[in-house]
Amino acid sequence: MSAAVATLAKNRYFPAALGLVSFVVFIALVELLIRVGVINRFIVPMPSDIIAAFPRVIVEEHVLQRFLLTAGEAFSASILVTIFGVAGGVLLYRYHLLRLATETWVAAVAAAPLVLMYPLYLVIFGRSALTIVMMGFTAGLAPVILKTLEGLSATRRVLINVGKSFNLTPSQQFWKILFPAALPTIFVGLRLGLIFALINIVGVEFLINFGGLGQLINELAERYDLPGTYAAICFVILVSICVFILMERLERWLRPVD
Amino acid sequence: MPAVTAPFERMDAGAPKPASADAILVVDDIVKRFETPDGVLTALDHVSLGVAPGEFVGVIGPSGCGKSTLFNVIGGLLDGYEGTVKVAGERVRGPHASIGMIFQEESTFPWRNVIDNVAFPLEIAGRPKAERYERARHFVKLVGLDGFERRYPAELSGGMRQRVSMARTLAAQPKILLMDEPFAALDEQTRLLLGDKVLQIQQQLKQTTLLITHNITEAVQLSDRILVMTYRPGKVKRIVDIKLPRPRSSEIVSSEAFGRYVAQIWNDLREEASRGLLDEESHKLREGEKR
Amino acid sequence: MAETGRLSLPASRPLRLPLRPVTALRIAIIVAVVVVWEAVSASGLLYRDVVPSLVAIGKALYVTLSDPTFYFHLYTTFYEIGIAMVIGGLSGLAVGILLGGSKFLSRAYEAYLYYLGPCPKIIFFPIMIMWFGVGPGSKVAMGAISCFFPVALNVAGGMREIDKVLIRVGKSFRANTWQMVTKIYLPAMRHPVINGVRLGLGVALIGTLLAETKLSNRGIGFLVIQAYSIFNMPQMYALLIILFVIAIGANTVIGRLGGLDDIKRF
Repeated sequence: MSAAVATLAKNRYFPAALGLVSFVVFIALVELLIRVGVINRFIVPMPSDIIAAFPRVIVEEHVLQRFLLTAGEAFSASILVTIFGVAGGVLLYRYHLLRLATETWVAAVAAAPLVLMYPLYLVIFGRSALTIVMMGFTAGLAPVILKTLEGLSATRRVLINVGKSFNLTPSQQFWKILFPAALPTIFVGLRLGLIFALINIVGVEFLINFGGLGQLINELAERYDLPGTYAAICFVILVSICVFILMERLERWLRPVD
Repeated sequence: MPAVTAPFERMDAGAPKPASADAILVVDDIVKRFETPDGVLTALDHVSLGVAPGEFVGVIGPSGCGKSTLFNVIGGLLDGYEGTVKVAGERVRGPHASIGMIFQEESTFPWRNVIDNVAFPLEIAGRPKAERYERARHFVKLVGLDGFERRYPAELSGGMRQRVSMARTLAAQPKILLMDEPFAALDEQTRLLLGDKVLQIQQQLKQTTLLITHNITEAVQLSDRILVMTYRPGKVKRIVDIKLPRPRSSEIVSSEAFGRYVAQIWNDLREEASRGLLDEESHKLREGEKR
Repeated sequence: MAETGRLSLPASRPLRLPLRPVTALRIAIIVAVVVVWEAVSASGLLYRDVVPSLVAIGKALYVTLSDPTFYFHLYTTFYEIGIAMVIGGLSGLAVGILLGGSKFLSRAYEAYLYYLGPCPKIIFFPIMIMWFGVGPGSKVAMGAISCFFPVALNVAGGMREIDKVLIRVGKSFRANTWQMVTKIYLPAMRHPVINGVRLGLGVALIGTLLAETKLSNRGIGFLVIQAYSIFNMPQMYALLIILFVIAIGANTVIGRLGGLDDIKRF
């Protein structure tokens, strides 16, 4: 018996399968405990009810439109963050004095809970998608600037010297050596920026009850539609997972072997 | 059980092999295999050796000959092998109090200063604070770093850091000192000078030492005897007695006898090293094609 | 040459600014921002009080800091975040050590953490209210689940990045498990752990404060929303300034504590 387990354990898919199986077992356990009455069914709806609520939520609540709205906000914020964040990082790298003066300030901004400024944005940009996009942009900017700066600064001296030895122009030096070398770190920054942007986007949607998926959860919760709320939450999690897997694929495509 | 593979012709046919009764470290017929995605790899193929008390033995071989495996087996960090390792008659089954190991890589603890690094083994053994620091100071002085006790590794040069590692292992006062290419990361001149230091310390402490290296000069400079290993699967190809005078210093590298020993060992090694290089290149080629 | 007080430079020495260029640039930037701010404020370009004069903000700061009830709210938020960090941080540390130490466990479960981590935790808030009530409990829960993920992931990664030779050194000296953890693993991981804690603090702050703005009658988040609801903009700015200063300060302190010197002095 133990020999069979040992060979099974050596199989490379075993850990992942174990993870999946334990997840399913956990859900089944929760279902059982609720049916038996150990867990209060008015606080935690039965997983079977939640799964049943999925189709209803998708159709009735126009999940696709909401998803597109939130995704659109996230996408716009990401584009802005990428352009201004990377540009900002490059700017600080290029102008050393500026960097010395402002790097700690940018780091400080990255540490502050900027999300609380949303009432201000509401007043300035109105109750619209623009507010949400701007909130996402503000939150995601600082990490991208910092990581871009970090990536560029950490380029190994010897690689820069190789470029110099081939008499590269400053523009070539940047695009062919510095930027590719910094790309992994920049991607770490983009991932971080997207995380913060998404937190703010979904958070503000939830708070001001406007927009896409964040608003959906808020609404369902206010209606006390428990299975629906849980289903919507699962849906958002799934979407978030897909977004970040996509991001990884993108990075893998840009930099095949690392 | 297969017979122990006898070493090939010896450099000095008349010199006797130390009898097992004299040897404080006995490595008997070690076979170590590894399972890799490409199949079973035999790292060590019936390797035996003996080290007498106070002796300095060098093990030299090309990259991939199983030297580091031998180091880890003797030090008790690897198991799953055939054969035995005995220290002063006692079988080694894991890290042993009588065996001290000095590793190839940078191994000082960056978050501890020099004296705390050196006192580490005594701390682990639960020695009282005063005794720890007194002993640590003694060994810091021995390696020539007195004055640097409160400095951190980041403030020291590579050679100094290796000396700290050395002092740390010596502070545990092991019967046998195992070194795995301790000077690999250093430049040639620092190596030679540190080699001097090592000789000095070894002679002073009469420390039994087994040095694993790929550097011929270093091996000849420091050893009483050298075991030359083949490329994988690792076997002992030849045992060479180094009959250079003791006490030695790095000046010996310019002597004729030294040159002859180095040439002879390189003769043996070159063949093994070429095999190793070819093998590695074809392996990388196959790996790249898989992608 | 006549003595003219302190200033008696020989003619050949060039006149130097009393300030380092960096400090001069910083002051210049601050001055520029202040000037633009006051200009926008006075011009009435934006809707009413969105950009109040700095004087008004200063007054509001003074009023807030001298109001004893403010400190009650501050304490509430502190307390919520503190407990959230302890719960989230310790559980994150434990899970991170488990995952980082075992390749098997990591391959089985770490992916869940990795992909659940970036998900905005605010979506769990309705559930937290149901489970822990409308009081501090749900706020602490929000902070804890927010901070758990960065800590766990950073610790797991940190465990794997420990220089393997240091572990072999510990084993070669026959250190027992407790000694290995306290004398080798934890010190070797201090940078990733501290970074995880700082990130965790950042997201815990967001989680807790958002929860306070949504549903609470105490805490800084509540005060901010209250100021907004009566459109007392200077008060809101004052609160935000105080909040940001504390958040940045805490972040710096944690960084210094871990020996990281990247938040440089002004």
